[in-house]
Amino acid sequence: MPQLFRRIALPLIASAGLLASAPGGSSGARAETLGPVTDPLGVLKIPKGAPIQIGGYWVISGADAALGTDEVRGVQIAFKDHGDRIAGHPVKLSVEDDGCNAEGGQTAATKIAANPNVVLVIGPACSSAATAGAPILWKQGIMDIATATTAPALTAPTRKPEYDGFVRTIYSDIYQGKSDAGYVYTQLKARKIVTIHDGSAFAQQLAAVMAQNFKDMGGTVLSVEAIQPTDVDMHPLLTRIATEKPDVVYLPIFVAATAQIIRQKKEVSGLESTIFIGSSGVMAPDLISAAGPAVIGFRIGYPDVSPDALGKGYGAFVAKYKDAYGEGPISGYNANAYDAGVLAIMAIEKVAVTAADGTTYIGKQALHDAVYATKFDGLSGPIACDSHGECAQFKPAVYEYTNADPTTFDIGKNPKKVFP
Amino acid sequence: MNGEAVASDWSGSRRTLRQFLARLTFVDVALWSLRILVLAVVIGGTIGTLIKTRYGLAQWFDFIMFGVTIGSIYAQIALGYTMVYGVLRLINFAHGDIMMTGAFSGYFLATAFDRSGFLAAHPVLAVLGTLLLSITVSTSIAVLAERIAYRPFRHVRGLAPLITAIGVSFFLEQTFRGLFGSSVKSYPDLHWQRAAFVVGGLTIPKIDLLVIGCAVASMLVLYLVIHHTKMGTAIRAVSEDSEAAALMGIDVNRVVVFTFMLGGVMAGIAGVFYAFVFKQVYFYMGFTPGIKAFGAAVLGGIGSVPGAMIGGFFLGIVESVGPSLFFDGIGIPAPYQLRDLIAFTLLIMVLIFRPNGLLGERMAKQRA
Repeated sequence: MPQLFRRIALPLIASAGLLASAPGGSSGARAETLGPVTDPLGVLKIPKGAPIQIGGYWVISGADAALGTDEVRGVQIAFKDHGDRIAGHPVKLSVEDDGCNAEGGQTAATKIAANPNVVLVIGPACSSAATAGAPILWKQGIMDIATATTAPALTAPTRKPEYDGFVRTIYSDIYQGKSDAGYVYTQLKARKIVTIHDGSAFAQQLAAVMAQNFKDMGGTVLSVEAIQPTDVDMHPLLTRIATEKPDVVYLPIFVAATAQIIRQKKEVSGLESTIFIGSSGVMAPDLISAAGPAVIGFRIGYPDVSPDALGKGYGAFVAKYKDAYGEGPISGYNANAYDAGVLAIMAIEKVAVTAADGTTYIGKQALHDAVYATKFDGLSGPIACDSHGECAQFKPAVYEYTNADPTTFDIGKNPKKVFP
Repeated sequence: MNGEAVASDWSGSRRTLRQFLARLTFVDVALWSLRILVLAVVIGGTIGTLIKTRYGLAQWFDFIMFGVTIGSIYAQIALGYTMVYGVLRLINFAHGDIMMTGAFSGYFLATAFDRSGFLAAHPVLAVLGTLLLSITVSTSIAVLAERIAYRPFRHVRGLAPLITAIGVSFFLEQTFRGLFGSSVKSYPDLHWQRAAFVVGGLTIPKIDLLVIGCAVASMLVLYLVIHHTKMGTAIRAVSEDSEAAALMGIDVNRVVVFTFMLGGVMAGIAGVFYAFVFKQVYFYMGFTPGIKAFGAAVLGGIGSVPGAMIGGFFLGIVESVGPSLFFDGIGIPAPYQLRDLIAFTLLIMVLIFRPNGLLGERMAKQRA
């Protein structure tokens, strides 16, 4: 029996895996003609008056909820600016919570992909969720426009075909890592650093890119440390780091663990003059709530989202945001999310064909090609996707928290832009 | 010894070896390989680390203090696990979440005290008030869980009680998430909590001493309650044989409720001290310490009060000291992401050698 299993079942499983890895696989999208549209990946039919269904997956609970919630709002404002209609149909955005992890991304994407009427997906915010979720969506021929997933591998020239349906209106951490390394080496004149990641695709890749750039500049990476996102006792790790006497500790991780580290570093001797620098995962008022007064002086390498650096419409966007939600932006990628919404609208309208009876048909391959071909001046800057799905540009900046009251969170004021 | 005797001995040894090899299974080989590998890493890593002299006495002392502090919290949670298991043979997987409910309720009062200035002006009264509220809430929830969720399944065989416990765990997490949101909340940070004694160049934070002292005191009180009170005698009787205890006139329900109350009190205390040390509270905060405390209870010998305490300290110290002591010496990078692996591997090692846990055997013998 075991031999039989090895000879027959294993090749079958392997073949099924290969077949399932791309659209048109055994359970994926397939060529279809519906109404006036023929498409190699299938055609979506939206009856007259029925909504255009857009899926979404972001982190909307837990310590990093602000990151995802902010982006959901960005997309909602984009749709509202377009009258909440696409190609003559009302638009319906259904959001799943991915928990900012691979398991959550897999579950959310599976749930979205199970709905045959989903036209396109926007999100997520977290690279781990996208790494797991995007291939599941593309297997069904569903395009995914991510809003804050910056892990370099997702749009690298070497990415696998299963990510062909993935694009993002956010920069790659190749640029963030290089910018952070430059700031640490040139501005802070640091020569010895320690990096800490939490095993997530985002943190691991960004820490690696930053460390490599720092080494290329002539600096020394004393050690590459790692934690688990759920760790609470950071004292032993910080004691270990203190023995290395780094100038800077670079920790591109998320809210809960960052807050523990910056609180507990004050209780460990030897780190008094060490500067701790985080990244985009902690640009949220939740960090202030979680870290308390220890947040003051903590710096973040982040894109420049000041009104001067962003597109001309950002001021008006913030006003709409405040009107709609009763508060200013609660994280930093709302403009990228807005652009993702606009990209989705423009691409869908470019390929949607509406018949005389009001039924709209959308070819999946055509939508894929339209997303890649669409160009416009977005809120976050020019949007134009390259052949690997990278659609945005990066403008570097560094911010520093100056106040421990969460209600003072206002990007540019608290945290205050300190570079350039 | 003549040549014939030597040949006979040799032949006997070969026969014994053949019999041993014939009896050897794959599982035996795997277990022995694991033991050898773990021992090699522990011994080799320790020697390598000590030769490197990267850490001085102060650092090793700090590692141990950090470990004992978090171990104290594991131990206090483990006491609740072990009490309930001892009486009902139920693994109360919701116990970590009961700790969370105490910490959460304490957060609101501590924050109110902090805002009004009462916490700074009267820290002892404020901490006692916070503890009292935390204990009240966690005890009430523990007792309600027993009455509503566990009692209907008490005499049901199979996995139903365990599944119920997991259900209670999810219920508590999601209820608190729904009521108070999913964001991380921060306990007040006061100067007196960061104060420390310095003895011979070694730093001992006062809050750590308070947490450790409270955990040891809790264990002693529990031990005295169990061994020197009428209710304690009843608890031990129900633990041995609940049906026989009922025939002797013991009110089993009352004993079970009292046991859950004790567990709830421990969880309430652990919740507040956990939050005072690590500052953050959120709906899911009870899960990981709960699992670790369960491991500590198993390690110490589930059902044994001193065992839960020792298990908690062991797990805390291994988590804190292990990555640097065992892995630095053999050059494994980023050892702190492996702290749970180290702790639970050593837990498994201990259980391989002592399946009933460190102090579980005495209890098993007594029962026999």
